[in-house]
Amino acid sequence: MPLTGADCFLRAFDDETRRVAGANHVSQLVLRLGPGFDVALFEKLIDQVARAQPIVRAPIGRRFAVGAPVYRLGASSRGAGPRVRVAEADAPPVPDAVLPDLFADRLNEALSARRGELLRFDVVRYAGGAAGSDLAASWLHMLFDGSGSEIFIGWLDACFRGASRPEALPCPDELAPAPRPEQTLRERGDAAIAWQNWLRGFTAHPPHSLAGPIRRTRQKLHYARLRLTTQQTARSVEAAKQRAGFLTPTLFYLAAAIRAHHAVFRARGAEPGSYVVPLAVDLRPKGAAKAMFRTHVSLVWFQALPGQVDDLDCLIATLKEQRLAAVKAGQVENAVAAMDFARFAPNRLYSHLSRRGFRGELCSFFFAFTGDFLAGVDHFLGAEIRDGFHVAPVPPSPGSCVAVSLRGGRLGATHTYQHGVFSAREHEVFRAQLERDLEG
Amino acid sequence: MPAPTIEELTATVFAILRDEVLSAGSDFSVRSNLIDAGLDSLAVTQLMLSIEESTGVWVDESLLTPENLESAETLAALVHERIAEG
Repeated sequence: MPLTGADCFLRAFDDETRRVAGANHVSQLVLRLGPGFDVALFEKLIDQVARAQPIVRAPIGRRFAVGAPVYRLGASSRGAGPRVRVAEADAPPVPDAVLPDLFADRLNEALSARRGELLRFDVVRYAGGAAGSDLAASWLHMLFDGSGSEIFIGWLDACFRGASRPEALPCPDELAPAPRPEQTLRERGDAAIAWQNWLRGFTAHPPHSLAGPIRRTRQKLHYARLRLTTQQTARSVEAAKQRAGFLTPTLFYLAAAIRAHHAVFRARGAEPGSYVVPLAVDLRPKGAAKAMFRTHVSLVWFQALPGQVDDLDCLIATLKEQRLAAVKAGQVENAVAAMDFARFAPNRLYSHLSRRGFRGELCSFFFAFTGDFLAGVDHFLGAEIRDGFHVAPVPPSPGSCVAVSLRGGRLGATHTYQHGVFSAREHEVFRAQLERDLEG
Repeated sequence: MPAPTIEELTATVFAILRDEVLSAGSDFSVRSNLIDAGLDSLAVTQLMLSIEESTGVWVDESLLTPENLESAETLAALVHERIAEG
């Protein structure tokens, strides 16, 4: 089964991270659970899922080293099944925004797509589970995207409750090859060129990330979590609706993330060039059963000049205008065409071309807003979900990523960053600006 | 060309939603809630583009309130209003 174009985009950066930073592009979903989580049953369930769904341990590669990469489902028996590792601790970390160090370590360890190491789990039990547990699902960003990982977790719980089975997928046809696009080859070629030309327009003001251009350095990611209170969240959600529109609150949170980075640039006395940020757009059919595996997104890119960043409303207006123009110009579909073609490019060439226009930079930082995290799922294998969120990965360049989501009426922002990119003082500046803007 | 009636607009908006924008089930009707049916920001913009193509009217996103997106009927009423305003 072929990887999607977006999978291959991520695969190129996974390969780059492995070559220059000795790690992988590993994403993480974290659940903070109350008492009652049944580890033994979880291990058994994961084993059943690995047997029933070969994709979770399918080696990924090109057939005969050419063509588009595929999940080698037939060779999945040789792949490594998802491991579940359990650690014990006396008490949960304090304050509650702090995560076990083990989880951050997992972001910097190597996984091998070629050997089918696509997914692993870590559980930290506090007081033998009586004081709750933390669970991290870490996966190579070619097995799921963020939405897919939430569907996976919800589906695991449905299997636990007997509402589904490891053999039954939420979306019945999701392991079938993608349908052939309606456009002709020439039309798709034109679409890909249009997308390339659009991005080329950004190169007049190339971005400078806080980490600087790509260089050979060991990946060492940390993360910091900011969690607003319910009162702050209510203000934030209202501000996002009022200032960015109720359909596009993402742009409010993106603007806040841009301004947090801008505050650090100013504190450093450095020049950001411009802020260029890609935003993933979910391509799953609206209102239909949702596919779980593979990456089903397109990318819309935004650019803001430093002069547009000082005023939050001006920045949001700029982003709204760009979003509308991009959708109107068909850039969502064009990106899909471009990424589909690029599946055939060798990884090294792919990442080189992606960074060439910005002189070694890929973008200013990564950003994601994923809305209500695990909406409608209150428990996981018998334990209450007290909090849950995504930890999005980022290569050492641009070295900074902000993922925002809601859970239990509280807004959370998880900042993933490469070691050394932010000083302690800059981190305070970043966090203070982000919190201030998130509250509107 | 005479301006379309609200019924004609409702039928147009419903057809675009059903055939182009949403993968809705057979229970999807002109009164179904659009957000519940899966309409998101990208789908709304695509919907507005299709409406502009068939009616010549662009509905600014700032007018798309939860009330206006309640159903195909309420959305058609908004488009009708915009056409009347010229």
